[in-house]
Order: sequence, then C-alpha cells, then structure tokens
Amino acid sequence: MTATREALVLPLLFLSVALCGSVRLGRTLVLLPPSLYALILGILLVRLLVQSRTLVPGALLSPARGALANINGGVVILTLWAASGQVFAVLIPDNGLPRLIVSVFFLILLLNTAAASPDRPRLLRSLAVTFGSAFLLKFVVLSALSETGTSWLKRVLLAMVEGVTLGTLTQDAMHPASGYIALFALGLFLIGVFLLPFREPPESTALETVGPPEGGRPDSMDIVRGVRL
Amino acid sequence: MAGETATRTTGIALTLIYAALIGWLYARQPQTVAQFTGGLSAAVGAYHIDRQSFDDGLSFFRRDRFAEARAAFQRADPAVRDASTQFYIAYSFYRQGWGRLYDDDALFRDGLEAVDRAIALAPNGRLIVDDPDLRIHTADELKAELEGGTRVEASDFSPARVFRERK
Repeated sequence: MTATREALVLPLLFLSVALCGSVRLGRTLVLLPPSLYALILGILLVRLLVQSRTLVPGALLSPARGALANINGGVVILTLWAASGQVFAVLIPDNGLPRLIVSVFFLILLLNTAAASPDRPRLLRSLAVTFGSAFLLKFVVLSALSETGTSWLKRVLLAMVEGVTLGTLTQDAMHPASGYIALFALGLFLIGVFLLPFREPPESTALETVGPPEGGRPDSMDIVRGVRL
Repeated sequence: MAGETATRTTGIALTLIYAALIGWLYARQPQTVAQFTGGLSAAVGAYHIDRQSFDDGLSFFRRDRFAEARAAFQRADPAVRDASTQFYIAYSFYRQGWGRLYDDDALFRDGLEAVDRAIALAPNGRLIVDDPDLRIHTADELKAELEGGTRVEASDFSPARVFRERK
C-alpha cells in the first residue's frame, strides 16, 4: 500500500464517512455522533475485516515499520472504527420497533458472519448486500410508511403489514436529502474497505495422480503432483 | 524517502485537523453557515460582531422597541458567539415580557435561553455589562430575574406587586 493511500486517502475518506453519516436533516441540522451500541458493532465489523484478511493489521502496525508509518497505520484503524460505527448508526432506524429489530439483526449477523469465517470477496459481497438491504429498509420502506399522504408504495406496504400497529413502525419524517447523504456515506465506506491492505488466502492444493513413472511398471508407484483448486 | 515522510506527516496533520473539526461540529451543532464560519473564526480568535448593527440594536433597545432591537442584535452576532450581544437579547426579552400584573412566560423562556447562551460564551461563565442605562449588570442577576418570572409563587398574588419596577 502506498504512503499516500495509508496517510491521506484512507483516514480522510473514513473521517468523511463519520461526518456525512452523522448528518440528520429535519427542521434543523443535527450532527449525531455514533451511539455506544453502534461503536460496539463497529468493533465487531473491524474484527470481521481482520478475520477475513480484508484488513491485515500487520501491514499497518508492525515493529518493522517506522514510527511515523505506525502512527499512520493506527490512524487508519481508528478512523475505520469510527466510520464503521457511524455506518451502523446511519442504517439503524431512529426509533420504535424497527430500531430494536435492526439493532439485534446487525449484532446477530456480525456474530454469524464471524462464525462462518468468510474470505475477503465473500465478506465484501455480504457487506454490500447487508448494508444495501438495511439502507432500502430505512430510507425507502420505512420512509414511505412514515411520510404523510397515501402514495402507491405506502398503500402496498400498509397492505403487507396489515395488523401491525403503524405507530410502532413509523419514523420521524426525513428530509428528502437524508437518503442521498446516507447513500454517499455508505458508498464511501465500502470504497474505503475495498482499499484496505488485504492478503489473499493461501491457495488450496489437492493431489492428482498423473500416471506411472516413465519406463516403470503400470503397478509401480504413481507420480503424484499438487494442483491448484 | 523524504517525500514519503512529508506525505505521512501531512496525512497525520490533516487527519488531526479534520477530526478536530468533526469533534467541534458534534459539540457545537451549528445550524447555519454563519454559525459555522463564525464558530471557526471564534476558535482562532478572529470573530468580531458587526458594530453598526449592534449600535442600531442598542438604540432600538433604549427606545423600548425590543423586536427591532433583537433583529439588529441577531444581525450583529449571526454566529451567536458574542456574550454581550446575547446578554442584550436576553435583556430585551425580559423588558418586553415584564408586566406589572403578570410576566409573559414565553418571552421569559426565550430570554432564559439567550442568557444561558451568554453565560456559556462568557469567560468562566462570568459576564458583567457596564451599561449605565441598565439596572441589571450581570448575567447571573438577569437569569435569576427571568427564572423568577417564570415561576408561580405566593408573591405573584400580592397586591404590592403592582408597585414593583421594571429593571
């Protein structure tokens, strides 16, 4: 990884996620830091990134690196944590039953993903799908349910959740720009995670029998070689 | 190698500045661009109120035209960073809301918010305004007066209340 990416690109990108993710537009502009719970989910996500080798801590912090380089590496990890917490804070609905359900869902999902030990490509795909789904839930589905008036989407959703008290689902009305800002923060975060120093998993090999040695008897020991899977 | 060191040092400096800015935004919660830029100016000691607007506000205030006075004071201190201006805004709420028979609770509550801002902005929370036209010179006295006006007490029903004077 280049010094520019490590010292400038990644920290500034993750801090931008922390800033954009904190913006809550309503009657007034409010900048909300991530909650303690979101920061804990952020720790779990960083751990998952390390476990899947999407982030190799040794490439950022090691005795072989100089002091300045180690400080840069530490800053990358700290800002990654802050951005991770802020991403969860953006995606978790603001109140009611959806907030509880999505909060628990994220916790279980992170623990489950850690147990599954995915590799980097699978984890990145999983993060994109999970965050994308949570984004749609909060900024499209719940937002449509919470807005005043009766749009066709709201009527469809109301028919789907028939029997559920609407008060437990609806959220405070969101500014139209909120979704765009959240999507921008989410996109930046995924780009940042993609740019982290990673390590490919060791290639798996299998043994393949290619036949008897030249001039040998057919029943003599076969040549066996390792092949990539 | 020197180039890499420069890049790394610049990165640390920029990250610290950016992180400090985000922390400041979380703490201050600016609502407008004026509050944002004014807050940054104040942080480096470069913030000044608009003296002409402040004098206009003072002039309105002394003629008991409080709504106009507040408009001028707010124009003078758009970033809400000057303790004295916020003190005068609070005082204008007090004088406008004061009544011989009863006080206007809504105006007094707005005054309390303004005086709290003034106290928060003053060094060590201590604010004294040397204006001979005022009868209250400290933010603490003004706050006590405003708080007293919003409370319902036995003295509120005393006939002697009509003889009290506006400060």
